[in-house]
Amino acid sequence: MPIVEPSLVTVKREEKLELDGIDVSGDWNTFLEPRVHTDLDLKIVDWVRSQPQGETISRCWQCGTCTAGCCMHTDYGLEEFNPRYFIYLAQIGYEEELRKYAQTIWRCVSCNKCVERCPKGVKVEEVVHTIGTYLEVSGGAPESPADRFDRAYTENLLARGVLDEAALFRTYERLEGRKTPARDLLRLGFTMLLSGRLHTGPFAHRTRGWRRMRPVLTKILEEEERARRARVEAPASRARGGSPGRAP
Amino acid sequence: MSAAPASRGPSDPVPAYYPGCSLDGLGKAYEVSCQIVLDRLGLSLDRIVDYNCCGATEVKNLSHDVSVALPARNLALARSMGRHEVVAACNGCVYSLTRANDAVGDGATRARINSHLSAGGSPTYDGEASVQHVLEYIRNRAGLDRIRGAVRRPLRGLKVAPYYGCLYTRPKRYTGVGRVPGTDDPEHPVFLDELLEACGAEVIHDYPAKTICCGGGHALSDLDVSVAFSASVMHEARRAGANVVATICPLGQINIENNLDRIRQAYGEEAILPVSYFTQLMAVALGASVRQARLKDNFSRPDLFLRERGFS
Ligand code: SF4
Ligand code: SF4
Repeated sequence: MPIVEPSLVTVKREEKLELDGIDVSGDWNTFLEPRVHTDLDLKIVDWVRSQPQGETISRCWQCGTCTAGCCMHTDYGLEEFNPRYFIYLAQIGYEEELRKYAQTIWRCVSCNKCVERCPKGVKVEEVVHTIGTYLEVSGGAPESPADRFDRAYTENLLARGVLDEAALFRTYERLEGRKTPARDLLRLGFTMLLSGRLHTGPFAHRTRGWRRMRPVLTKILEEEERARRARVEAPASRARGGSPGRAP
Repeated sequence: MSAAPASRGPSDPVPAYYPGCSLDGLGKAYEVSCQIVLDRLGLSLDRIVDYNCCGATEVKNLSHDVSVALPARNLALARSMGRHEVVAACNGCVYSLTRANDAVGDGATRARINSHLSAGGSPTYDGEASVQHVLEYIRNRAGLDRIRGAVRRPLRGLKVAPYYGCLYTRPKRYTGVGRVPGTDDPEHPVFLDELLEACGAEVIHDYPAKTICCGGGHALSDLDVSVAFSASVMHEARRAGANVVATICPLGQINIENNLDRIRQAYGEEAILPVSYFTQLMAVALGASVRQARLKDNFSRPDLFLRERGFS
């Protein structure tokens, strides 16, 4: 995917190079219009930067290294999964275009190849997730399967301090309206049994002292969620001049 | 924001060991075989008893502070055991523990996280515990010479594809891998290659899927992706001439094996190879039986594979 949108490219043709009504000029003299951004909508990038997971977004200088090696883009071959482009759209505040990817962004598998390689220290994976969260909390984007899983996972671990994998599988499949294949559950139960340590059921292992930790963490979770929504509803900051990549 | 530390800091005679939910549950075969390897090499680790789940890669998408407080509580427990070194065997745990270290490198964040920890009745964390993968610990602490000397049954006939997965080295800004002296290469790691070779196996060094993602984080929410990735871990191994895959991460192992039927359906029987934790293979090389190394726990049945090659 090119960095500059086709609409910003002007094609100038020599009108004289026309033979028998057929244009033979070619597109050799294609120019990029020089441009300065003056009317950026900083609403999205400001919001992303306000989240600790999204802070590093303004370091991005659009080199494309993240996309080049991205597991979903390159290995899985999902061409429209383009972290560099998601960041670009967020930076210039092109919300309408960004929303087209609401059903794509959640598919990041958190392999962290992008974070490893980014020459500017952007925490790309977390930034991409934060952009996805923006689309959700600002309305419009429905909760994705990955979001539902994150929520089920978090609630599951907060209950006792450690995961109850069998319960997590069941809860999540129910959320998706699926029935876990009996074979998968059987296998899971079998492995649990073999493992010799019960992670499920009423006598399962729990972290001692968790009773005090749980309400503290649950409260933080709720507060952060509320703050995210409050911020997105606050009036947007005024646009500044300069390029979108400028550091705060 | 802090960069990864330039050194691992002080080392302990017996570092703390963070099992995490997987090693204590679904990945029991990993833990048991790990213990055998450590024993036979004269290494020991001290278990963090009242640990909690580290939050893996999921919690951070919902809450920053919870995603730092969860691993920080475990690191605080290790510090209250007087340890500076924490060893974990799951790539996901290494990721979230080192990510927490990165976060609390910032003074204001550390103060905030510590106030959460105290409110929940946990010791506070001073940010002074360094985290490493058990692969790195075994390789560096025992040394390849000691391992070669301890091998009782060289892994002859095994052509192993060393599968590291995503988060063993990545990202270096958290793990310090590639920055700290004595650590592995972040893009093309070799420690697992070295250990298996020291155990007498033939290792496929140029295995193309060495560090690809297994899709494990989306094992349930994006099935197509997790099946495609786990299939390519085995498929690429076979194409490279391997007859067994060695893993270092319970999430990868469980994800691949849980997808076996679907992979068989989509790509045929040729796509399947036995998959084993590296410590299971090492344990056998160091003299443990196939049963002791719990190779039968794995759905891809590396036990049958090893027995065919004369290992009991
Ligand atoms: S996030 Fe990093 S790697 Fe990706 S385009 Fe921006 S600077 Fe390049
Ligand atoms: S973490 Fe996500 S965005 Fe980054 S390379 Fe992996 S799949 Fe792509």
